[in-house]
Amino acid sequence: MIEAQEIEAELLGFLHREVFAPSVAVTPDTDLIAAGFDSMSLVRVLLFVEMTYGLWIPEREINSETLRNLRALATTVSRLLVQKSTG
Amino acid sequence: MRARQYLNGCDYLMLGFDYELRRHGFAGNTCQIVLELASALPTGALEERLNALVTTYPVLRARPCGLILPQWKLPRRAAAGPSVRVHRDEPELAQRLFNEPLATTRGELARFDLIQRDGGRMALVFTWAHALMDAPSAEHLLALIGRKELPFAAPHSPPPARTRLGLLERFKRAWKNLYQIDQFSRAAPRSPGPRYPKAPARLQYRVETFSAAETERVRGNGVHFCGILGDAQYHAAVAVLELHQLHQRLGCPSASYVLPVPVGLRPKGTVEPLFGNEVGMLMLQFLPEHLDSIAHAVTMLKMQTEQAMRAGLLESGRMLSDLFRFLPLPAYMSVLKRGLRGEICSLFYGDTAAVNPLLTTFLGVPIENFTHVAAVTPSPGLGVIFYYFRGQLRVTVLHLSTVLNEAEVAEFAAGLRARLLNP
Repeated sequence: MIEAQEIEAELLGFLHREVFAPSVAVTPDTDLIAAGFDSMSLVRVLLFVEMTYGLWIPEREINSETLRNLRALATTVSRLLVQKSTG
Repeated sequence: MRARQYLNGCDYLMLGFDYELRRHGFAGNTCQIVLELASALPTGALEERLNALVTTYPVLRARPCGLILPQWKLPRRAAAGPSVRVHRDEPELAQRLFNEPLATTRGELARFDLIQRDGGRMALVFTWAHALMDAPSAEHLLALIGRKELPFAAPHSPPPARTRLGLLERFKRAWKNLYQIDQFSRAAPRSPGPRYPKAPARLQYRVETFSAAETERVRGNGVHFCGILGDAQYHAAVAVLELHQLHQRLGCPSASYVLPVPVGLRPKGTVEPLFGNEVGMLMLQFLPEHLDSIAHAVTMLKMQTEQAMRAGLLESGRMLSDLFRFLPLPAYMSVLKRGLRGEICSLFYGDTAAVNPLLTTFLGVPIENFTHVAAVTPSPGLGVIFYYFRGQLRVTVLHLSTVLNEAEVAEFAAGLRARLLNP
């Protein structure tokens, strides 16, 4: 089973590479929306999660709580992966 | 210092639209920001800032050139800053200024006009050639000019990494976009205006302003239909629905509506490169049956966006526009318009989100209002720009006077407002 921390590290690397400028200090606790994360950034992240973990995050899971920061997003992905493997 | 600076694919597309607009008798592909200021600006201080600006950024006085690849040819000697003209207020002066061409071939890529309003107020009208920079860059540049404490030299960071691919692979990927347009042409769009306007016409615009309460309501509708971060998608879906209504009212049915959705390619948290259009386009198509409700339009918009991103159309579109730089402008525009049987799209759409937060004052004078304007190329010669100033939504509706008359555009704008509030 993939740990939430491992997912968090993968997502952090992706955001640094593909979404944010190197000068922007993004940490697992950074408020993503305040840092400039927008709808196209979200689509990029959704596609990255699908490509990496074979999971499409359903729309009902995309809310202000999930996008509060990277840690919350990684926790959601981890939970959905558990549900997928057991369900 | 380099004497030349290459245009990227998107810059060259903007130069192509400039060619197309001038060919039809319009001023060219210019953009405009109008700042309504609480009091008069010290003109001397502005001129001083602009002269210093050109010393740091000589590209503001560059001329387009290039036989193989398009370039900005920078001035050899120190050039004076962009011109500053002072006008007495008169009705629709800003619109008239928008219709005055920039002498781009003589190095006039930006112009500043000051309009003396009643009660000691003033408006600053900044007009620039779209090929030079996009709206976020222009906002940042204005912020730099207007804040003496900000240095002109932008902090240097490495440019965004581009995929290093062979020419054949780039052709293959670019082909995906041509194939998409070919698919769209099976139900080619048709705009209400003439494809080749003959009479000299003007670019006109009107601005719909939403109060704080109305903006909250529109945002709430965006979240309801498109989810969190979905306000731009909601704006786009509403704009296409209202366009369909407009076509029906005018008795000008279209087999489909093609919407180019601009996507900012700058990494979040940067404005660099300051001079350049760092934008990719996702082309979306809506058939009339997709536009029976806002929910249906949103579903189609989201589905197509995900499919396009999954297929890498954003990156391949960039490769295609980079390759098109080898074509002369008349050939480029001809190829572009042939794809959709004479149309470029159905509606030019832009969503520049919140205005740069540094734009609260300009040279110490508070900014009371802000307007974004951009030229719209025939055909369709119709466009909308959404943005937020001080948290309040603004929508600029742009059109060529040959496409819609005043009553028709007023009805379109009113319909847009009503549908944003009550989908």
